[in-house]
Amino acid sequence: MNIAVLSGKGGTGKTTIAVNLAVNSKNAVLIDTDVEEPNSHIFLKPHIERTYEIKKKYPVIDTVKCTLCGECGDFCNYNAILPAKNKVLVLKELCHDCGGCELVCSFDAISFDKRDIGKIYSGKSQNDIPIIYGDLNVGEVSAVKIIERLREIVANEELVIIDSPPGTSCSTVSAVEEVDYAIIVSEPTPFGVSDMKMVVEMLRHMKISFGVVVNKSGLGDNEIYEYCKDEGIVILEEIIFDTEIAKSYAKGDILSYKIEGYSEKMSSIMNKVLESENNE
Amino acid sequence: MNEIVIVSGKGGTGKTTLAASLIPFFGEVVIADCDVDAPDLDILLDTSLKYEEDFVGLKRAKVNNQLCVNCGLCYEKCNFNAIDINIEINKTKCEGCGVCEYICPVDAITMEDSVVGQIFQSGTEFGDIVHAKLIPGEETSGKLVAEVRSRAKALATKNKIKNIIIDGSPGIACNVISSITGTSKAIIVIEPTLSGLHDLEKIHSLVNKFRIPILIVINKCDLSRDESYKIEKYCFDNDLEIALKIPFDRTIVEGITKKKIPSLYNHELFKSIGFNDFIDKLKIN
Amino acid sequence: MRIAVCAKDEGLNSLVSDRFGRSEKFVIFDTTNQEYITIENSAKNESGGAGGSAVRLLDKNKVDIILVPELGPKAMDAINAYELKVYSFGDSITVEEAINGFSDAKLERILTNTNDGHRGLRRV
Repeated sequence: MNIAVLSGKGGTGKTTIAVNLAVNSKNAVLIDTDVEEPNSHIFLKPHIERTYEIKKKYPVIDTVKCTLCGECGDFCNYNAILPAKNKVLVLKELCHDCGGCELVCSFDAISFDKRDIGKIYSGKSQNDIPIIYGDLNVGEVSAVKIIERLREIVANEELVIIDSPPGTSCSTVSAVEEVDYAIIVSEPTPFGVSDMKMVVEMLRHMKISFGVVVNKSGLGDNEIYEYCKDEGIVILEEIIFDTEIAKSYAKGDILSYKIEGYSEKMSSIMNKVLESENNE
Repeated sequence: MNEIVIVSGKGGTGKTTLAASLIPFFGEVVIADCDVDAPDLDILLDTSLKYEEDFVGLKRAKVNNQLCVNCGLCYEKCNFNAIDINIEINKTKCEGCGVCEYICPVDAITMEDSVVGQIFQSGTEFGDIVHAKLIPGEETSGKLVAEVRSRAKALATKNKIKNIIIDGSPGIACNVISSITGTSKAIIVIEPTLSGLHDLEKIHSLVNKFRIPILIVINKCDLSRDESYKIEKYCFDNDLEIALKIPFDRTIVEGITKKKIPSLYNHELFKSIGFNDFIDKLKIN
Repeated sequence: MRIAVCAKDEGLNSLVSDRFGRSEKFVIFDTTNQEYITIENSAKNESGGAGGSAVRLLDKNKVDIILVPELGPKAMDAINAYELKVYSFGDSITVEEAINGFSDAKLERILTNTNDGHRGLRRV
């Protein structure tokens, strides 16, 4: 079973919930698909057992065969190929690896090489929680490739908890694609509600069942509850705002080990998710 | 023109709260909300919509079913898995390369403009705001941010307004760069959490490339003494000015909940932490 | 010789632009007949690689010299590949000032990129 944890905006506690769900679930594997800003490992401090290098193709021009006709440059929609006076310049970072240049080249002058765009690290925390996280290299644009690989690696696992990228970008879409259930972590403030609406819209469009965890409750107002009621959205759990929690988080603690009652909340979320799945 | 951008290394640090709090203290301003993934600034501003326009992003493949002979070539050649076996396009996966259009033997595929979001201009009691919203599933676009910025600037030029306040995109991606390029000063909002220093280092090295004055604001400064200290030390070592420290205070969230600008809702609190001096620094051109 | 200047508007009195790849327009001045034209910068709306695309556009317009505010690494690579020369117009305010500065040999030639890259720079 795949469960995605997401949020409309940063700072709602998405990573905290994902990490603590993993800590409190038997046989769970946590994957961090927020590859631009991976944070779960800061809390779990895993011992890395395996590293995967993620590569992407880019075109290489055979200068003997190339006639500088410029067809490849005209075709490339990403400005990655510039046919200049005496050579064809390839800007690797801009290449999306669509393969179009090879198709349009009449002289068979294009082949492909591979370059690193990031890494995936796999390991276990001190308490034996398996975690796999991706890290995208500086200057790279394609998070999706790493996210897809992360999902592949855990394809046969029994229970996967996915820490998704924040917001509703195409990275988020690839992180939550075809998951069994999504947990939205939100705050009871007007900002929280507004950002959450976009996530709800996305999940409904993707036909994924979901519920909400209201984090930092008591700090805001009732708008989120009214919205969920009107829209028929399940509230899985509420976690009351507490300065102790905020301080413990700031130190990098795993809250389940430090805050009384936190584990129970996590187990209760998991039970409700499993229940809703069994009912389908 | 005085263009002030507010940025943060990650989301949720109080960037929008601070941006809103600045707005009432500059006379008439133009406001640009460049956080197009989570455009929340208008919530606190009591806006009245003046116009709304579709924003066109990249071109995407479109299949003409009348012409399609189901040969499957496009399905085979698409490197993004954006075309399924029934020759239907998955819009979120299409990256607009044009391979399918090229390869189609019966010219059944064309690349067409695709709407990725909306751009708005609204009135507020402090001046007009230019804001935008991406359709869920669309990639955060530096181009949309650049468009919001350029409309805000045109508005300020036309109405001879001196100050533009920009709520920047969070993080360090290309949309953030579009938020910062060409501004007069940048405010970095940071929280003293475990990742706070790391986030500050990254956003600092980014903003540093633009050779503009940087002011640091530590939000919820009393959350962790240790992490706060690390941030202050970093600022000292790097000659960065900590221009404002905001303590954690429930009335700030309370203000937001009531859809009020926090610096007006609890003006005493802001006055007590030197907010007026902070504003004066920002006004210097 | 044909000189292109990054410009916000049309003609010699236009303000110079503070971007290269995403410059609004280019004013192209021909020193042989002292005539100029203004072209739209079709590269400014690209979602990536605007710098390289702008260089290609200027090359197609038979430009020899480009006067810019700054230049990223990819644009610099493109300038070298197309064998063009690029100069910083420094404090020039209008296109005419930039061109005069160049004619008086007051502008500095740019040989390496002056910023560390804008677009595509995903993480630092």
